[in-house]
Amino acid sequence: MNFQDYRTLFQVGSLAFVLLAASPALSLIVSFPRGGESFSELWLLGPNHMAEDYPFNVQAGESYSLFLGVGNHLGHSAYYLVCAKFRNQTQPLPNASGSEPSSLSSIYEFQFFLADGDVWETPVTFAIPGASIQGDSVVVESVSVNDRILQVDCSSAWDSEYSGFYFQLFFELWLYNSTRSSFQFHDRFVGIWLNMTG
Amino acid sequence: MSIEAERSVVAMGSAIRLRFLSATVLLFALSSTLMLSVSATGNQEVAASTISEAEQSMAQAYEAVLDAERVGADISGLLVRLNDAAALLSNAHMAFEVEDFEEATGFAELASEVGYEVVDEAELLEIEANNAQVDKSWLFLVTSALGVSTVLVASLLGYEFFKRRYYGRLSKMKPRGGLS
Repeated sequence: MNFQDYRTLFQVGSLAFVLLAASPALSLIVSFPRGGESFSELWLLGPNHMAEDYPFNVQAGESYSLFLGVGNHLGHSAYYLVCAKFRNQTQPLPNASGSEPSSLSSIYEFQFFLADGDVWETPVTFAIPGASIQGDSVVVESVSVNDRILQVDCSSAWDSEYSGFYFQLFFELWLYNSTRSSFQFHDRFVGIWLNMTG
Repeated sequence: MSIEAERSVVAMGSAIRLRFLSATVLLFALSSTLMLSVSATGNQEVAASTISEAEQSMAQAYEAVLDAERVGADISGLLVRLNDAAALLSNAHMAFEVEDFEEATGFAELASEVGYEVVDEAELLEIEANNAQVDKSWLFLVTSALGVSTVLVASLLGYEFFKRRYYGRLSKMKPRGGLS
């Protein structure tokens, strides 16, 4: 190695040390993009806190329990709204791919704030206090969620293919949009089918 | 006046009294119903506007918390309080749905109160976090300036030392052999 080579080596080494010494100041200017995807989770678990034993054959007046959860992976704190809705087989479901919520009105709602990386979970108890048989249909007059009763007036005809009177309890996830200053459907929903047996 | 005529006058008087009484009762019932419906409409309007105000206060609180979070403030305590307010607002909405306007108004007022308190606290936290960020930036700048200066001075001195040693060693190298 001649002197020129040594000098180049010296310059490179010095530059590396200079960058190292300047790294605290550089960290104020240079920001690295957050890795990973931004998303929210929404889940529904059975009464044993497992993805099994969901209530299915339900009777009027009986109480059933579930666990509803949301996880925030958006990279910032979020303001969520979960709307519980009740429908029969013909009433509209949300269109998650088209960002369209169901046009049905909520029978219960949960509003909460969640820090990034945190999860929120709550027990949900529901019952159908008012139901009657009218001809070959079952009419659910009211649904109770967490002891709050709301009139729904929803009827279901006998489904001969699956042998039952089917209804669905589902939960839509909404997210507060700061730009629009309103909640927007967050393209996620979960639900369970219920067969009114008596 | 004969007895029959007197009876007829008395009967007419009774009928008039009865009609007057019926009309009074009817009027009272109508006015009560009207007052109740006016009062219910008034309660509904009050509840709706209180809920709307609570929603605005929650939105403001959320924006303030997001701003504080962006500058690195610890917002965990604020989120707990906001969650309490959000539960109250949910209750207000649901009470409104079942036309319990007084309860809806009560819940919404409490939610508004908490929301506005959170806005104030979030703004304070944001200012504190901003100040801390400025102090931290100065510390980083001074540390970097000192570090870079030290590295530059050390490099120059090191380079000079190496150069002298290199040429010193080179000058000590004597050519072998020579003229005889």
